[in-house]
Amino acid sequence: MKRNVMMTVALLIFFSLASTASAKVNLKFFYPVGVAGPLVKVINGMVAEFEKENPGIDVEPVYAGNYNQTMQKVQTAVLGGNPPDIAVVEISELFSLLAMDALIPLDEYIEQEGGEKFLADFYPGFLGNAYGRDGKIYGFPFQRSTPILYWNKDMFAAAGDKLKAAGLDPNRPPDNWDELVEYAKILTIREGNQTKQYGLIIPGGWNDWIFEAFSRQNGSQLIKEDGLTVTFNSPENLEALRLWVNLMQELKVCPVLRPWNITPDDFIGGVTAMMYYSTGGMAKIRKTAEFNWGAAFQPKRKNYGTPVGGGDFHIFKGIPKENQDAAWKFAKFMTTPEMAGHWSIESGYVAVNKAAYDRADMKAFLEKFPQMTVARDQLDYAYPKMMAVNYQLIRNAMTTNLDAALEGKKTPEEALADAHKLMEEAIKGQ
Amino acid sequence: MREKLEQYQAYLFLIPGLFFLLLFTYLPILWSTWLSFNRWNLLSPKPKFVGMENFVNLWHHDVFWLVMKNSFIFVTVSIFPTMFLALVFAILIDERMKGRVYYIYSFFYPTLIPMAAAAMLWVYIYSPNLGILNVLLAELGFPKLGWLGSSDTSLWALIIMTFWKNLGFFMLIYLSGLQNVSRELYEAAYMDGAGWWKRHVAITFPLVGPTSLFVLVTAIILTFRVFDQIHLMTEGGPGNSSNVIVYYIYENGFKFFDWGKATSLTTILVLILLTLTLIIFGIFGKRITYSAD
Repeated sequence: MKRNVMMTVALLIFFSLASTASAKVNLKFFYPVGVAGPLVKVINGMVAEFEKENPGIDVEPVYAGNYNQTMQKVQTAVLGGNPPDIAVVEISELFSLLAMDALIPLDEYIEQEGGEKFLADFYPGFLGNAYGRDGKIYGFPFQRSTPILYWNKDMFAAAGDKLKAAGLDPNRPPDNWDELVEYAKILTIREGNQTKQYGLIIPGGWNDWIFEAFSRQNGSQLIKEDGLTVTFNSPENLEALRLWVNLMQELKVCPVLRPWNITPDDFIGGVTAMMYYSTGGMAKIRKTAEFNWGAAFQPKRKNYGTPVGGGDFHIFKGIPKENQDAAWKFAKFMTTPEMAGHWSIESGYVAVNKAAYDRADMKAFLEKFPQMTVARDQLDYAYPKMMAVNYQLIRNAMTTNLDAALEGKKTPEEALADAHKLMEEAIKGQ
Repeated sequence: MREKLEQYQAYLFLIPGLFFLLLFTYLPILWSTWLSFNRWNLLSPKPKFVGMENFVNLWHHDVFWLVMKNSFIFVTVSIFPTMFLALVFAILIDERMKGRVYYIYSFFYPTLIPMAAAAMLWVYIYSPNLGILNVLLAELGFPKLGWLGSSDTSLWALIIMTFWKNLGFFMLIYLSGLQNVSRELYEAAYMDGAGWWKRHVAITFPLVGPTSLFVLVTAIILTFRVFDQIHLMTEGGPGNSSNVIVYYIYENGFKFFDWGKATSLTTILVLILLTLTLIIFGIFGKRITYSAD
């Protein structure tokens, strides 16, 4: 045991000496993978491409787990005085990182690139979560998504007669909440006490995110843009939560709290006719689903609506200036039309750079898979995702209470009120 | 004189071990006890002394009580069946049954698998639609259960998995404890006409007392500290239904960055374990029969 410790110490000293000996800039890059699919390989390929173009910079990509785990790793590294140079974390974490004074503003870099003109290349919907309260920009969009509705066209066709009898069109997905319920009811197939096929899956795990979409569709939100005013307990949100409880507890057309990561497998495996999921999971479905499937806007209530999602690049304080410069170079490289397009094709995330969609390879690809344009087009109805300090605590309050309501342990009213109270306490720092 | 020298030598040899024990065990305990009286979180990034505030907040927090309840359920429900079955299997194997080596291996192999791999294996076993457990239940005509995905079953699913993982380890300890029990005692009892059950109640159970004490204390500490499987299989959910104290400490420390609260919970855990250990040694320590003479 002790010998192992000594060996490790010796190795660490050796490597730290070895790394200071080279004149290259070494970038430590933490990134998460928040959806199902082999995206680590794609990132490594892009990093290799960057290193080829920039021989003076070495990037060490560190796969840090899912979004929560990545944020924990970043927080720990920052508090330990050893921050990464650049990291991608979930967009709602920005205020927590700012509270820790962990980030540098990117305004100067953006000025150098041409300021507003440079930013205009990117979808404005993805920049909404990039600014701090001081008006400076601290994040740069990278792996960005919205939830969308996936539907199994074959299952819709198989239930064609029944759908037509109910006055529904089997060739299109539901367009509003009422239709969603009707379609889900007809597409659910039961045998005895077993459900052979669910009409719909609204997965657990990130149900706070999907819930935010329902809230937006009903003209409400979870926390106002100031990051201080909690509106979780609004009547519109109550209506949304009642709809969910109805789907899961009364109608039983949607399984309760299906884990986030296995939900795409359920869709691919024919367990469900529809699912709400991040557009980031689309590549996996494209590659493995053996049936005709479609992607669509999430059904509306008062209007279409969705929060954006995913992760932004952040560059850290407390590292040498040349590392920060190199980190910006890396962030810029990863979001060029070419790279953003490549990333979008490989993952299913929306390309953050508008010009990516003018490229010939992207056009050819989209012609084959028009489903990929849905999330981009849905951006017209997208809002910034909720942001607040202590986001992990807030998210925990939201998911535990949503979970409790969906399992029937709390009434929707209680769940919203309890979460609301905890969220206000978390923002005040109780 | 010479004796004294030997004593000094003994102290000398103990110093390195003591040093590391101090550095990595006692100092952190003291440091975290001190921190538990401080407010130190994302919004107050410097530790600030606040007395009992963290403990009072915990006292008024529902999740804390739920977590304590879950921990105690986990410990009490998993320990006694584990101990009992471990002993019974150890006795059966010890009686030189045919192919005992294969039994030892097959009971012991879950202990050898890294917890992370075992957890992933059980995630698939518990998988709601494709997992073998639900497939079996459906074949037998029972409704499928949510297992890890339902707050009614998540804690129990973890207890079952932990039972499977730990059984072999404790069985092996009992097996080695049984080697110390003299064969002659069984032969004498056999001659006197004592049956299988009577022989073990009268001879085995009392004579594996020291082993049982060790197993009990280790099992309590091990089960109070369960973390890996919870982190990998449920993250304490849904709705904190499978959250236990060590995972809750981790959540408060590393997820919510509330070090004051995390260290208060650590202090509480240390106190619980210390008290339980003292009670157990106090009750059983003196009564244990260490040999047949």
